[in-house]
Amino acid sequence: MSGTTDFAAAQRVNRRNTFVLLLALTLIAALVGYLIGWALEGTVTDVVPAWSAAGLVAAALMAAASLCWSAVSLAFGDRMVLTMSGARQIEKTDAPVLYNVVDEMSVAAGQPMPRVMVLDTDLLNAFATGNTARSGTIVVTRGLIEKLSRDELQGVVAHEMAHLANLDTRYMTVVGVTVGLIALVADMILRTLNWGGSVNARSSSGKKDSSGGAAVLLIIVLIVVAIFAPLAAKAVQMAVSRQREYLADATSVQFTRNPNGLISALQKLDQNAAPFPGVSHATQHLFIVNPVQHFTADTPALLATHPDIADRIARLRNMGG
Amino acid sequence: MSLWIVLGIIVLIGLWLVSVYNGLVGGRNTAQTAWSQIDVQLKRRHDLIPNLVQVVKDAMGYEQETLTKVIAARNAAVAASGPAQAGPAEAALTQATRGLLGLVESYPQLKANDNVKQLQEELTTTENKIAFARQYYNDSVNTYNTRRLSFPAVLAAASLGFGPIDLFNMPEAEREVPKVALR
Repeated sequence: MSGTTDFAAAQRVNRRNTFVLLLALTLIAALVGYLIGWALEGTVTDVVPAWSAAGLVAAALMAAASLCWSAVSLAFGDRMVLTMSGARQIEKTDAPVLYNVVDEMSVAAGQPMPRVMVLDTDLLNAFATGNTARSGTIVVTRGLIEKLSRDELQGVVAHEMAHLANLDTRYMTVVGVTVGLIALVADMILRTLNWGGSVNARSSSGKKDSSGGAAVLLIIVLIVVAIFAPLAAKAVQMAVSRQREYLADATSVQFTRNPNGLISALQKLDQNAAPFPGVSHATQHLFIVNPVQHFTADTPALLATHPDIADRIARLRNMGG
Repeated sequence: MSLWIVLGIIVLIGLWLVSVYNGLVGGRNTAQTAWSQIDVQLKRRHDLIPNLVQVVKDAMGYEQETLTKVIAARNAAVAASGPAQAGPAEAALTQATRGLLGLVESYPQLKANDNVKQLQEELTTTENKIAFARQYYNDSVNTYNTRRLSFPAVLAAASLGFGPIDLFNMPEAEREVPKVALR
């Protein structure tokens, strides 16, 4: 809790990271597109081209695809998530305390008030989606409104407001697209190699292949990369996700100046977290507490979307809770 | 040759001044917006209190000392303007309002009244928003004042017309009042 408007700095970092990720994503896609086009041209003409026109076309296509995918995810991702979850928008009269608490947190964050939606289930959970607070949405379950005290509800809503104020939702959307694209492209490489390999085997049976040893080594490296790159990308995504959870907890306390509300809310949520309709592995990382998997200190941490709750609570206690 | 060097230095100084100026303008605007948010919430409280007082008076059938105190504090706060004046007046009103909310808590027939319940929640959220708006305002003012006094911006801030901004302080005494349990 050093600087007083830390989340402004978090926003700047996130904006920059989002941009760098988008750029890296496009470059990776273009590079892989070129490699695939180059390999295809090579296998079809049986000459390894130094400069491949097909590769350039494929690179342009891949770059365009990755930009479109990112743009579509940023523009429509939140609506898809909201439709999938089955949440319904509420007005102030439907749940005055929840509405007021969201309004209070937008004042504390100095942000416009996001939309408020309720998920009709007794379970306790919440998530936020949208690119900014102005266009964002905070979703809480009906159980959360009924079973949490005002202070606890405030802690949870502040955590979600922190995700919006820190631009986490936008950042995680771009990270998700990057990881998805790397997985897709790795799959494509494996398929291309499979096919290209059999073509090479056929053509080299009649001719003398002087570069056979180097080609085999190259192919092995490509296969290893294609297998481990998606795993590594997933691990990075989850590490980023866990860091954003810690940051949102800290920003939540910065807003409420009351760690106890969030601490006791997390304890209640931990006891009651369970899967409910409309939640899948695709949306699990959005929630304040993972509704699909339960994490403890013993779970292997590498692929966990959220940090261990006991650890989150311990960090909150350190803030004076 | 030396003309270009001099010109380059002048351009660099110009760019630096622009960035200092923009940074300070941004900080000052954030603080001013934050102050207007406080103002909105304070006005809202000034509007809500007479309603709650009226409902409580009707429900109890007589005017209690707490009620007259709240109204007096409210009128004093309405008359105050600017962070320096409003601070103590609003702090007194916060204290009086807590007395009023405490009074509501101690009378079961008041707590059960739907009108009172609704006004109580509105007043609670407004109290919270005032606290949060003040917190945000003071944070932005601190950021602005720090930026203004940091080297090298401090060399240019005063001559560009950026003065310090007042914090919005409510005296500490208010915090010693026992917290009303609202649920």
